[in-house]
Amino acid sequence: MFTEFFYTLRQVGVPVTPTSFLRLQKALSKGLINSVDDFYISSRAILIKSERYFDLFDQVFAHHFKGVELSDPTEFDLSEAAKALLDAWLKDPQAIADALGIDEDSLAHLSPEELIDYFLERLKEQTEAHHGGSKWIGTGGTSPVGHSGYHPGGMRVGGMSRNKSAVKVAMDRRYRDYSLAGPLTRTHMGEALKRLRNMIPTGPKDRVNIDETIYQTMKNAGEIEIIFERSLKDRLKVILVIDNGGWSMDPYIDMVQSLFDYSRSQFKDLKTYFFHNTIYDYLWVDPPRRSKPYAVDEFVRIDPETRFIIVGDASMAPYEIMATDGSIHLEERSGRPSIERLQFLADNFRHSAWLNPKSSVEWPYTGTINIIRQIFPMFEITLDGLEKMVTHVMSKN
Amino acid sequence: MSTEEIERTFSGGTKYVLDEELAKIVNITMALEMPLLLKGEPGTGKTMLAYAIAESLRMPLIVLNVKSSMKLIDALYQYDTLTRLNDSRFGDSKRDISNIEDYIKMGKIGQAFVADERAVLLIDEIDKADTDFQDDMLDVLDQMEFDILEIDKTIKAKQRPVIVITSNAKKDLSDPFLGRCNFHHIAFPEPDMMREIVQVHFPDINQDLLETAVKAFYRLREFKEVEKKPATRELINWIRAMNADPDFRVKDIIKGDIPYLGVLFKKSPDYAIAQRAVSRHRL
Repeated sequence: MFTEFFYTLRQVGVPVTPTSFLRLQKALSKGLINSVDDFYISSRAILIKSERYFDLFDQVFAHHFKGVELSDPTEFDLSEAAKALLDAWLKDPQAIADALGIDEDSLAHLSPEELIDYFLERLKEQTEAHHGGSKWIGTGGTSPVGHSGYHPGGMRVGGMSRNKSAVKVAMDRRYRDYSLAGPLTRTHMGEALKRLRNMIPTGPKDRVNIDETIYQTMKNAGEIEIIFERSLKDRLKVILVIDNGGWSMDPYIDMVQSLFDYSRSQFKDLKTYFFHNTIYDYLWVDPPRRSKPYAVDEFVRIDPETRFIIVGDASMAPYEIMATDGSIHLEERSGRPSIERLQFLADNFRHSAWLNPKSSVEWPYTGTINIIRQIFPMFEITLDGLEKMVTHVMSKN
Repeated sequence: MSTEEIERTFSGGTKYVLDEELAKIVNITMALEMPLLLKGEPGTGKTMLAYAIAESLRMPLIVLNVKSSMKLIDALYQYDTLTRLNDSRFGDSKRDISNIEDYIKMGKIGQAFVADERAVLLIDEIDKADTDFQDDMLDVLDQMEFDILEIDKTIKAKQRPVIVITSNAKKDLSDPFLGRCNFHHIAFPEPDMMREIVQVHFPDINQDLLETAVKAFYRLREFKEVEKKPATRELINWIRAMNADPDFRVKDIIKGDIPYLGVLFKKSPDYAIAQRAVSRHRL
């Protein structure tokens, strides 16, 4: 039963497993599910394992049980706009009918689906005609989403009521905010960085080492000898180097920096340096990169076990990285190309990584990214990328 | 389902307002004998749900608070070697030193397994532990048995406990873990629901206060910059604070003078933002 439903879910990319599907069948055969509402709730609890897929599930459910069109993401935004339009129209049928260029009566004869289609058609034309500033779509502020409006033909728009059918609930798409597309927040990244730790015994000897105690007691001919040891604490050193020069980096600097600051208490030591585009002879301790230089050569004195993490878009003109006088800042003339300095850093710190805010899809098209990737392993600034980065810098070799 | 089981379905506790959706999920989870994984904003009653289930079904509740340093074995059982060593040296206890079983203490999961009645086992904040812990634990909960290595004995669950697992993580748990659970995400309650919840906690609350407090609360939640938005738990504490203050008048809130902001906003930057906004907008 509901095999098609199951496969539609798979098709749209919801990870549903056969095991969970069988479990749903079990629930059905036990007579636990007696209505569409029950089915909606139970199938979601059993099949869907993350709130990020609730929205997709709602869409598929509405599609399957009500024949609602499955929308492409792009179309979806349009249909939201259409909804706002419908609302406006419900308040003032005359005005919209005029705007659409058909009279009110014939509008009332359209079925809700036809109406939406019609709106979408018009809307597409509109967006093309008035790029950016269409007064139709500019509903922000003037048209609060109304409740309980009725189309003359009988379709309910928006609105909330307490005893809605499952299909209606599904059509509401309450879980839109949780879907995958959401932005990466501090909490998200904090999760990923949690695993960045290195446990080392520190503090007072206040834990009993049982194995050792037993061994020593036996050696002591049964006279009890209790052995204490230190407890484990996280003592990881991290160096964070941030490209704060280009516009492209601006949205990320705050986030990355505050994040590492956030977890500072967890690390033994966290140092932050800045650079522009790529690294030459100096890094800077102060964000404006003016008063406090720090020579790259000095890094040899730092514990090579330190985790060295660079954040930057790695996108620049190839000469900046390959030429001996590559820097776009005149005062940085060292005679050594940046690529050598990067290699030097990578050799010095075994555990290093490069975080790139650009999506990995774009990487192959930027020459300098390809060059830098050969020196530092590169990761995206996404939840996934961060996790991979952590795994990489924490691995033993 | 037998008649007896039907009687023992869950319909909410005395201090817990349950939406129909969640009630159905709890019941189906119990019928399928699977753990229920709950996610949601902190303070929306994930943990309280387990208490409510235990109360309404009159089952004992066993709580396992997960800590980051926890190993699975701590949750199952503990072999108290030090006491045994001590006994063997001084020999002044009634325990039988040659019988290791005397020195095995059950952990929380172990307790739930050996309990004579069916228990509710709450595993709180599973996301704190590492992935290995989570997967191994689910193996145990799946098989409903574990081995005590020291005495080569298998502990089987006498009664399958009702298992509720909560997680605060934004990140997903591992796939094998999720595969073995039913899942629900507790959304933040709508104002109507919230009024009911408050009413359950304060049966004789002044209607004016209820109305104004809930309204102000939802407005306070709208601040975009705030990192930790106040949730149900904060609202209830807030109302409790206002109730306890003899000088407090409902009119104050209407006038825009919101007392005890510190109960609602617990991070200092959040508190500052809220205070600024409140004084500016005269909420």
